[in-house]
Amino acid sequence: MSTNDEDFLNDAIPEPDTEATPSERMHARTFADIIDKSLTNKTPAAMTADDRALVEVATVIRAANGKIGLAAEKQRSIIEDALRQAIGGAGAPKSGAVTPIGKAKNRRWVPWAVTAVSTMIAAAAVLVLWLRAPKTIVQEHDVAKLPETWRSRPVDPLIGPIARESAGDASSRIDYIFADRLDGYRDRRLSGRGGKP
Amino acid sequence: MKTWLMLIALTVVGACSTSDRDASPPSQTKTAEPTDVIDEELMVSLAQAKNFHRKAKVYMSDGNLVAATASVRQILSLRFPKGAPEADDVRLDARALLAKLLVSQNQIEEAMRTVDEGLASSQRESFFVANLYTVQGEIHEARAAVAEGEGDAAKTKVAEERRAAIASYDRSIQINEKLQKQLVDEK
Repeated sequence: MSTNDEDFLNDAIPEPDTEATPSERMHARTFADIIDKSLTNKTPAAMTADDRALVEVATVIRAANGKIGLAAEKQRSIIEDALRQAIGGAGAPKSGAVTPIGKAKNRRWVPWAVTAVSTMIAAAAVLVLWLRAPKTIVQEHDVAKLPETWRSRPVDPLIGPIARESAGDASSRIDYIFADRLDGYRDRRLSGRGGKP
Repeated sequence: MKTWLMLIALTVVGACSTSDRDASPPSQTKTAEPTDVIDEELMVSLAQAKNFHRKAKVYMSDGNLVAATASVRQILSLRFPKGAPEADDVRLDARALLAKLLVSQNQIEEAMRTVDEGLASSQRESFFVANLYTVQGEIHEARAAVAEGEGDAAKTKVAEERRAAIASYDRSIQINEKLQKQLVDEK
């Protein structure tokens, strides 16, 4: 449409009792012509986007009121296809637009089957990963192989019974304990095995 | 659909058979980490204990028993590696020295408390527990000596303390004998 129409559409909404302007009357007459033509399947090829949107809305409203019917040829074709299927006639429906009801029902299981199969494959994959996970086996016997002198242990065998006269001589004993444990510690560290037997 | 089911069944069976095959040779072996080796933490703790003992010895040689006592007390609060048997032994030995220092300063009850706490906290019988019983006997003797100075009224207490001292020495001897026998048997 013209620039005036665009202005008309972009203008502010007039009050309900306001008299229609000549421009509005002109636009209404033009749009009425388009609607009339569309009712007889003679919709003009060239329209503004706004008019086309309004025509589509008008068509939907009309269809919702049940005033649009299929063309006679189309109706006849669909009915013949349905009858042919009902009596077990060979060959695919000529129209190709209608899916037989029975066949459609048969295909309802397809999404479920796809889902079920996918789930089962996923479960199988998880099972495979779980079953094939590398097992860590801790070799406990290696610990027992550690030399006694490398291990933290009671100092009773080192010190022996403490005589009463040396009951308070803890200073000498700690020197002895420290020296002994230092030997074990150095032996372990310098063995080059990092504490492993 | 049947093809899919067969495919899944084959996958699962294949996985199971493969895992069975892999089960015998472990795919990953981990050597057990020795948790009771002599490590840096234990050595540091022992070194600290040694230093506190040395410090206490210097204070004692100077006649500063209060400072020596404080130094020995610090050994009791040293942190050792969890579960290290040396920790128990070193602390019990420090308690024995601490108790003797307290007795020498006439703090007999405090000395007894120190010994009793040590005996209560000990995890196993050791020569250090036996030594602590010996010190406990000495403390009972010190109590008896104090009671003796209180005259005839404290005669009963003197007798009780002497009996307790004998019981402590007996317990010490008993533990020593048991442990010595164990050590001989182990050899």
